[in-house]
Amino acid sequence: MNDFIFAAAFYGLAGMTILSAAGVVFLKDIVHSALMLALSFIGVAGLYVLLNADFLAAVQILVYGGAVAILIAFGVMLTRRRNMKESNPNNRWVIYASFVSAAFFAICGWALMGTDFKPVGQQVNPEAAVEGLASLLLGDYVVAFESAAVLLLVALVGAIILAKGAKEA
Amino acid sequence: MTIGLTHFLLLGTALFCLGLYGLLSKRNAIAILMGIELMLNAVNINLIAFNKYVAAGSYTGQVFSVFVIVVAAAEVAVGLALVLAIYKDRLSTNVDDLDWLKW
Amino acid sequence: MNMSLLSTEILTAVLACGLLILCLLSPNKEKHRGIGYATLFGLLAILVTTFFQYGINETTFHELWIHDDYSVFMKELFLVAAILVTLSSIDFVDTLPRFRSEYYSLIVFAALGMMVMASANDLVTIYVGMELMTITFFVLVAYVLGNGRSSEAGVKYLLLGAASSAVLLFGMSLLYGLTGTTVIPEMMAKLHWSPALVIAVVTLIAGFGFKISAVPFHMWSPDIYEGAPTPITGYLAVASKAAGFAVLVRVFIDGLPLQNGVDWLTVMSVLAGITMVIGNVVAIPQTNIKRMLAYSSVAQAGYLLVGLMSADAAGVKGILFYAMLYVVANMGAFAVAIVVAKELGTEEIPDYAGLAIRQPLLASVMTISLLSLAGIPPLAGFVGKLYLFSAIMDKGVLWPAFVGFVMSMVSVYYYLNVALYMWRDEPKDNRPIHVPGAIKFTVLFAMVATVFFGIYPGPLAEVATMAAKSLF
Repeated sequence: MNDFIFAAAFYGLAGMTILSAAGVVFLKDIVHSALMLALSFIGVAGLYVLLNADFLAAVQILVYGGAVAILIAFGVMLTRRRNMKESNPNNRWVIYASFVSAAFFAICGWALMGTDFKPVGQQVNPEAAVEGLASLLLGDYVVAFESAAVLLLVALVGAIILAKGAKEA
Repeated sequence: MTIGLTHFLLLGTALFCLGLYGLLSKRNAIAILMGIELMLNAVNINLIAFNKYVAAGSYTGQVFSVFVIVVAAAEVAVGLALVLAIYKDRLSTNVDDLDWLKW
Repeated sequence: MNMSLLSTEILTAVLACGLLILCLLSPNKEKHRGIGYATLFGLLAILVTTFFQYGINETTFHELWIHDDYSVFMKELFLVAAILVTLSSIDFVDTLPRFRSEYYSLIVFAALGMMVMASANDLVTIYVGMELMTITFFVLVAYVLGNGRSSEAGVKYLLLGAASSAVLLFGMSLLYGLTGTTVIPEMMAKLHWSPALVIAVVTLIAGFGFKISAVPFHMWSPDIYEGAPTPITGYLAVASKAAGFAVLVRVFIDGLPLQNGVDWLTVMSVLAGITMVIGNVVAIPQTNIKRMLAYSSVAQAGYLLVGLMSADAAGVKGILFYAMLYVVANMGAFAVAIVVAKELGTEEIPDYAGLAIRQPLLASVMTISLLSLAGIPPLAGFVGKLYLFSAIMDKGVLWPAFVGFVMSMVSVYYYLNVALYMWRDEPKDNRPIHVPGAIKFTVLFAMVATVFFGIYPGPLAEVATMAAKSLF
């Protein structure tokens, strides 16, 4: 992939991600926000492809673009109200919020541009990413892997308990 | 004009700050959750970009973001179950209405 | 790869999953007592096995997992906390509307998450362990179904907890970018000052500060402590905070260099100072016992941070010793609050009037626990504060000890306030309060341990010293 196509793809995907993320936080109708969120997730998946993380891109689309976005859409629909036009209001701290976020962006941006991240280690073959990931996940990172499995079990049990509520249905 | 690590990091930071803005400025609990998801996605972009440009010798960054995705999915599931539980009680998902405790 | 280094975690995971299966198999869904006792004995058995684990200082999985005396000590602390919480929960669970048996397995799952945090030697494992603990707590905090206060606390904890994790993760991702590794001891050599490191340290402190509820990241704790079921409040206050400290100490002392790096000690000192002052001052006007204990636990986080300031084995020993006593004393106080809330239906401090007449045991335990938290000799809290403050004074820094001393005096005021209501005032009615057997055991254990370790701190201090040394 030559530089120009890479740059064009980056700016296209970055624009899509950022614009739809802005849509998530600035749109007034929460259903639109939820749709924008899904779009933003897909943009991020595209960026992963640019970063040689094909497997992660697939996971991103499956888990975020599929499961999380659908879950959130469910959440929106199950708690809907009559007037959806103003369903995503700001609170009274909106000015402080924008100030804090802008300041954090300025400081972080300055810090990241001013830091020289030195590469370490040799490039491994990106084609073998899935094997590499698998041997790390089930090798060195097996404790985290098993803890994540337990965590999913807890989330499953917890979500059932909380969503079923106090009354026998 | 080559796209490098800095571009991805700035993109990640911008996404993080948009999420932070959503987190701080929204009333609806579901909208706040969306903001948090954006922040987690920003972290994942950072991790994978670092993995490509800084630590290309292993897949640690990608492994890290796999775990972030797993945890985020679990968090959303529990979070929405909680929002549903509270909606049954109050018919509202606005955190401003959650004023039984002092906040 | 040495699986015996993972034995405590494996046993705990087996216990937690076994309890879940037991819930499914039990014929009567709301008969939970048997499962409660099974939890208790399982945790006790695991606690016994941990005593044979001291002295093994090894890492496995290419240094991603570390088994040292420090982690063993922390795991024992979590187990003690989980046992006391289970004991004080058994009668409380009767009042839950539904899903009573599952409650216990969630307690064990939370303990498992904390253990993973204590032994994790890299950022990925720390993160997953921490989220296992936190997500379990989201569910436990909201466990009183149909009670708006509990689910409100749950939603607030979830939103703030998830946000703080995201901030923490941002810092972790920068650390990974700066070093190319997530293994904590490896980061030490590779880090040197850069603007991104400053951002990383700041976000790490914000993320961990939330978990240990240090000022200014403490705003969540009074609300969540008040809304959560009382045994879970106790669990949150002691075990979740201790787990936060376990990770904080390991990441900062093993991973972040002070020379040539970011001077996080100064930030910690400032945090310790304002946490001690604000926690104690705001605790004074509180009238709800759980809110008062919440602010007092904020203040305790400040004292514990003083131990981190000295950044040596003596300071960490102080943290470990104090954390253990804090578990015991706080669980004693919360156990009393559980009985009072169940029998009198109140959490307001003025309603404790005359408790000494109605139930002298509860009043004495509450008084002793609170005085230990205040650091009055000869109780254990005094010895703990002595270790914490003498460690920093040995470094030639006197002000934290001074602030800590003054603030302990302030804390005596609001702790004694509760004691005054209990011992001086006349009760509204004279019916004695019934104390269930399991709670009686909890409070007696808390009282005996608080007094015993105050008079004879030697053995615990020795273990704490050994555990602290394994970190350096």
